Amino acid sequence: MAKNQGSETIIAHGVRVEGDFVSDGDVVIEGEVAGTIQAAGDLKIGELAKIGANVIARSAIVAGEIRGNIQVAEKLELLSSARMIGDVTAMVLSVSSGAQVNGKITMDGREVKIKKEKEENGEE
Amino acid sequence: MYYYVYDEFIQDPRFERDLALIETRLTDLGIAGKIARLALFRDPKELIKDEIRKGAKTIIAVGNDVTLRRVIDAATDTKAVVGIIPLGKENMMLSDILGIPMGVEACDILSARIIEELDIGEVNGRRFLHTASVSQASGAEVLVNRTYKLKAFKKCSLEVRNLALEEDDVRAANPIDGMLECVVRTPTKGFFKKQKWNTSIVPAKNLDITFNETVTCSTDGDEFQSNNLCFKIIPKALRVITGKGRRF
Repeated sequence: MAKNQGSETIIAHGVRVEGDFVSDGDVVIEGEVAGTIQAAGDLKIGELAKIGANVIARSAIVAGEIRGNIQVAEKLELLSSARMIGDVTAMVLSVSSGAQVNGKITMDGREVKIKKEKEENGEE
Repeated sequence: MYYYVYDEFIQDPRFERDLALIETRLTDLGIAGKIARLALFRDPKELIKDEIRKGAKTIIAVGNDVTLRRVIDAATDTKAVVGIIPLGKENMMLSDILGIPMGVEACDILSARIIEELDIGEVNGRRFLHTASVSQASGAEVLVNRTYKLKAFKKCSLEVRNLALEEDDVRAANPIDGMLECVVRTPTKGFFKKQKWNTSIVPAKNLDITFNETVTCSTDGDEFQSNNLCFKIIPKALRVITGKGRRF
């Protein structure tokens, strides 16, 4: 597994996250998430990951399963093992052969607002 | 004013020569000061706090990580600067991370006074500079920044890092970033192979960890038992003398 850089968050296989997950940095998810995900940095969802959450991120690479809507401010990459059950909003979308998308795709350039961790904690 | 806290173990005759060299060098550098010798029934916290009240500005632990931790316990939240002169062979990790060489060579580093303001971690009211860890805990549930929960499916080991070196699966923990790093290691499958771990890493300011059973938590060489651990970071709580070779 890659080492974490800066304030990168890693959720490994064998761990489940429940609740409103907010991160100011990059996020790598190999485990399970139930709730919501907001990542101000780059989000990587691994092949074994199972996400039952609405996802908002600056950019994302998805190889696992997402049951929920995903909004990406910049580029969303769905790799061949990706399974999307929900609506997709992205500025740029890349779908590899074999990836499944079951939902509405919107690419109208609308702004995606990402909540910061500091705002979440009520700090200035 | 400098105040030197000699640990009990360095009062052994085998350290006599080292201490003589250190005391001579400190006098040469003009940073000699009052000396306190720790003993079994002497409360170091009261001793040091009392001396800070009397005007000691710099408290130097002469010994190992355990000595430094005792000094830190007393000196955090005061304006006193903390330093270490490492002596002995065991528990030398903190002085290594802070870039302080062994024995008499440390005196020159102390004299140069490169001061860093470091964060301090706190768990159930106990403070730590390095890490707090729990090995083989079952049913661990970590509430991160009071917003989301992290649950491990299997038995896991937990480590909360403030100041720590890089390991195979984790980068170094920086004690000046205002964050703790929660590291959760769960075992992967494998019968004949060496045990491998899946490592989760979560930076956080607050962590509330609950367990199914009572666990033993180790903090900088100290141990206590509980089934609930509340962590928080105290930013820039400690002023420490570091060397140029510090590893953060």
